[in-house]
Amino acid sequence: MSDDNRKKEEMTAIQSQEVRPGAVPPNASISRKLRDFYDAVQEEGIPDRFLDLLERLEQAEKNAKPVNAK
Amino acid sequence: MSKEDESDDRGFKRDLLASLPNLRAFAVSLTGRHDKADDLVQDTIMKAWANQTSFTAGTNMRAWLFTILRNEFYSQMRKRGREVQDSDGLFSERFSVHPEQYGRLDLQDFRKALDKLPDDQREAIILVGAAGFAYEEAAAICGCAVGTIKSRVSRARARLQELLGVSGEGDYGPDAGDAAITSRAFGS
Repeated sequence: MSDDNRKKEEMTAIQSQEVRPGAVPPNASISRKLRDFYDAVQEEGIPDRFLDLLERLEQAEKNAKPVNAK
Repeated sequence: MSKEDESDDRGFKRDLLASLPNLRAFAVSLTGRHDKADDLVQDTIMKAWANQTSFTAGTNMRAWLFTILRNEFYSQMRKRGREVQDSDGLFSERFSVHPEQYGRLDLQDFRKALDKLPDDQREAIILVGAAGFAYEEAAAICGCAVGTIKSRVSRARARLQELLGVSGEGDYGPDAGDAAITSRAFGS
């Protein structure tokens, strides 16, 4: 079973990077950890402070614009 | 005309929002800390917003934002002087806060190793190996030649392997939970 798992992971890793066919990519584990780490942060989503900030920037821009005739 | 402007604005904001999680992950990778990363992202958003007109619609907004953030990061570092000597253990310190989230993924060791890389190698491997940029795009973001990025990435990989003691086989930790997480991460 653990062999199956390992095979599956190797295949995924092979697909995800350019590697000579048939070779076990020595960087598979590194690549995986790198993505796990990065994805963990990405999955945190967007903190409210940034949504608020964009809201304020948008509002400020609207207020600053001269009211032009439609 | 004003109508077009408005719809451009909305498109700009929408694209910016769509890039934020990825941008923020890059900021965390560069700074090693969430609080600093979020300050950096905030500065980047404000710069990007103020320079909307210099963004060419239809081009890669993500690459544009990454470039702004990266420039901002290095210019702040130059201003403050490097705090790196001081920052030993920042990754582990930060990540002891969420052991349930990160410890399980065995990522603490990885972050510590990542932290040991020279800045140029770390950003190269993050851009290409995690953020999803092509070598050419990463080179444009970092303002260097494609070959330089390639060599930085390969040096970074070699160094990480060395630091983590990964030999290339037998280090896949094939227990069920780990495998499930992995396939989820790859599936996204």
